[in-house]
Amino acid sequence: MTTQTAAGPLAPFRVIDLTNELGQLAGRMLGDLGAEVIKVEPPGGDESRFIGPFRGDVVDPEQSLHWWTFNNNKLSATLDLTTARGQELFTRLLDGADFLVETCPPDAAAALGLGVEALRASHPALVHTSITPFGRDGPYANWKATDLVGTAMGGLSSLCGAPGRPPIRPTASQGYTQVSAQAVVGSLVAHYQRTRTGTGQHVDQSMQEAVTFTHDNASPTWDIRGINNGRPGNGREIGGYKSGQYVYEAADGYVAALSYGGLFGLTARQTIDWLDHHGMAGDLTSDEWMAKLDATQGILIPPAGEDADHLNEVLVDFCKQFTRAQLVSEAQQIRNGWGIVHTPRDLLENEHLAARDYWVELEHEDAHVTYPGPWAKLSKTPIRVRHRAPRIGEHNDYVYGNLLGCTDDEIAELAAQGVI
Amino acid sequence: MTAEQTDRVFEGIRIADFAWVGVGPLVSKYLADHGAEVIRIESSVRPEPLRRAPPFVNDEPGLDNSGYYADFNSSKKCASLNLQHPDGVAIAKRIVEHCDIVTESFTPKAMRAWGMTYEDLCEIRPDLIMISMPMYGLTGPWSMWQGYGHVLQAAAGISHLTAYPGEEPIGTGVAYTDFLVPHFAASALLAALDHRQRTGEGQNIDFGQMEAAIHATETMVLDYTVNGREQQALGAGHPEHRPYATYQCAARGDDDDRWIAITVTNDAELAALADVAGEHSWTSMESDALDSAIAAWTRSQQAEELMERLQNAGVPAGVVQTPEDLRNDPQLAHRGHFWMLDHPTMGHRAYDGPSFRLSETPAELTKAAPLLGEDNEYVYKDIVGMSDEEYVEHLVSGAFD
Repeated sequence: MTTQTAAGPLAPFRVIDLTNELGQLAGRMLGDLGAEVIKVEPPGGDESRFIGPFRGDVVDPEQSLHWWTFNNNKLSATLDLTTARGQELFTRLLDGADFLVETCPPDAAAALGLGVEALRASHPALVHTSITPFGRDGPYANWKATDLVGTAMGGLSSLCGAPGRPPIRPTASQGYTQVSAQAVVGSLVAHYQRTRTGTGQHVDQSMQEAVTFTHDNASPTWDIRGINNGRPGNGREIGGYKSGQYVYEAADGYVAALSYGGLFGLTARQTIDWLDHHGMAGDLTSDEWMAKLDATQGILIPPAGEDADHLNEVLVDFCKQFTRAQLVSEAQQIRNGWGIVHTPRDLLENEHLAARDYWVELEHEDAHVTYPGPWAKLSKTPIRVRHRAPRIGEHNDYVYGNLLGCTDDEIAELAAQGVI
Repeated sequence: MTAEQTDRVFEGIRIADFAWVGVGPLVSKYLADHGAEVIRIESSVRPEPLRRAPPFVNDEPGLDNSGYYADFNSSKKCASLNLQHPDGVAIAKRIVEHCDIVTESFTPKAMRAWGMTYEDLCEIRPDLIMISMPMYGLTGPWSMWQGYGHVLQAAAGISHLTAYPGEEPIGTGVAYTDFLVPHFAASALLAALDHRQRTGEGQNIDFGQMEAAIHATETMVLDYTVNGREQQALGAGHPEHRPYATYQCAARGDDDDRWIAITVTNDAELAALADVAGEHSWTSMESDALDSAIAAWTRSQQAEELMERLQNAGVPAGVVQTPEDLRNDPQLAHRGHFWMLDHPTMGHRAYDGPSFRLSETPAELTKAAPLLGEDNEYVYKDIVGMSDEEYVEHLVSGAFD
C-alpha cells in the first residue's frame, strides 16, 4: 500500500516543457509520473491559453479549460527566447534539466537554440524530445498539420466515418493525444538508456507516424490481402471483412455491443440462449442457424450478406426493449464484453470509477474543479494529480531565484526588460 | 542489473508476456523492439484471439498465419503453455523466476485463480514489476467485466465524440483504445523499470484501460465539471476553426473515394487557401457557403497534387490516406516506419516500427512474430533449466499444448 506522500517514479527529474497544443499532454504525463515540469512560456502567456472552451465562456488566458486540462502538474516560468538574455537563461535552465520536450517547427529550431546537434554538444546528458507534425526531417518535415491533417495523413480518418460520406475524426484531438503519449514512451526509452550509461539523446517524434499506429489491422490487411479496410460507419472492418453493427440503440441511450452483438464466434451459442431467454431469438434457435454460427467459432471471420442483415435485425429489435444497464450487465454475465456508450455526464456519475476513487479535486483560487485522475495505479511510486495548471509566470521567483540563483533585483530587472 | 554498455536499451531485461490481443502485446513490443527478451506465453487450447483473426496469408486461417497477430509481436519469442494443465501454473512460475517483468491483460479472476497475482509472484521474484491491464482495472464493481477496444472507446467517452453532427455515436472504425492505452501503459511500465534500475525496488501496476482512455477526451471532462456542458461530436469539424473538414477530390483511376483534409486556423491561412484556389472572395465568405465552394472546387482536383499546392502555400492540408497510401508515403518511407521481415509461414511481410526515432539507440525489429511454441526448447531448457527427460515428460503430458 502506498502512502499519500509517496513520490512518483520520475520525482528526481526535471523537465523543460516548450510545447504547444501538439505536445502539451507529453509534458503533463511526465509531470503525472512525478517529474518537476517547468512550462516555459512567452511573457504574454502561452498561445494555448487562448484555446477554448473557457470557464464561463469568458476568454481569459487564466480560465482556459484547455490550458487547465493539459498543464496541471506543471510550473510556469515566462521567458522571451528571441532575446540573447532569454537564450542565456534558457541554457542555464537546461543545465539543470533532464528532459526537454518541445514542439518547435523544424525550420525554426536552430534559431531558437533547439537544433539537435547543438543541444547534443552542449547538453550530452539531456533527453531532447521533438514533437512535430511529420518529424524533424524528410520531405514533409516543414509542412503544417492540425489534428485533422494528422489523423488524415496518418490513416485514421480513412477508417473513421461512413461509406460514401466524408471521413471524420473524434472531436477530441487524437493526433495530438497519440503523438504526445508516444513521445513519452520514446522519451522514457531514452531516459532508461541514460540511467544505464549517463548519455542522453534526441527523440524525434512525428504526429503522422504516431497516428499510423492506430490502423488496427488495416496495414497487414493491405500487405497480405491487397484490400484497404474502409470507413465502416457503425461497424468495423477486420482483415478486409465487413463486420457487424457495433452500437445499438437501447431504451435510454446507446450500448456498444460486439459485431452482431456476439452472435458469431465464441459467444454465439450463449448469445442466442440469452435472446431466447427473453423470447427474442426468433429463428436463431433453429438447427440451421446453430450450425451456421457454430461454424464461425474457430475463426473470427464475420458472416456476410443476408445472414448478416438478419442477425443485425434481431439485435436491433432486442436492444430497443431494454435499458443500457440491463443489456450490459446481462451481456457481461454471459461473457459478452458489451459496454455503455457513455456521455460526459454518465462518466462523472459512473459507480465503478467512483468506487476506484478515479476523479480528483484540485483547488483553484475560487473553485474546486474535478479532473480525470491517474491513468495507472503504481503501488510504490504513485502517479498523482498534484496541483492545478499555473498562472502566467507563477513560478518565476522559484525558477529564476531558487534554481538559477538570480537575486530579487536581477529578477526585477529581467521583468522590466521584458525577458521574463 | 549491471549497467553494461550496449546499443540495445533493454538488453538483459526479460519479460513474461501473458497478455493478449492489443493492450499488452503492443506494450511489450516497445521493449522487444529495443532489445528486451519478451517471451509470449500462449496456449493452443485457448489461443490468443488475434492468432485466429484475419488477415491470413492466402486467406488460409491458421494460428501461425495471422497478419493481425504478427504486426503486434515483432522481435518476440513464444513458449506454449497450457495454464489449465495440472503442471501449467507451476511451470509458469518457473519462467517468472527468471523474468524482470510480468505483463497480463486478463480480467482479474484469471491470475487470482492461478495463484499468480503480484503478491504471489513477488515470493518468487521480490524485485518483480508486474503490470495488469484489465479493461476496468483490478478493483471495483466492473472489474470482472470483459471488453474489447472497439467497445471501450464507447465506455471511455470517445465514441460520444465520434459521429456526424446530431447522429448516433459510431466511434472510430477501429478498436481504438487498443492503439491508445498501450502508450500510457508502456509509459507507466518504463518509469517503474527506471525506478527499479535506480533503487532495486519493483512494484505492481494496476492499469485500468478505461481510466487511461478518458485522458484522450481533451476538454470533455472539464467542460462538463466546470461549465456543465456535454460536448457534442462535430464530424470532422473543430469547435473553433473553419474551414476544418474533409473534402472529396477527383477519382484516381477507378477509385472515387479520394479525400483531402483542409484546415484553416487563422486569417493568413485563409488568404493562402483563397489564393491557391484563385477565389479571393473566399476570405470574406460566410462559412457554410465557403464549405460548399471548397467542396465544389476540390472535386476536380487530384488529392496529392492539391495537398502539395496547399502545403507549399502554408495551408495545413493532407490527403485522407488509406493503408495503401501509407505504404507509399514518402515521409513514412524516409523515417523507415515499415519494416520488412521474413516469417517462416507468412513470408516477407510489413511490420510497424515505433513512431519515434532515437538518435543513439534506435529501435530494431529483430525478427518476425513467433510461431506458437517456437521457442519452447530455449525457454524450458535454457532459461528454466529442464532436463531433456523432464521436457519430454511435460510435452507428452500436454502441459505445452
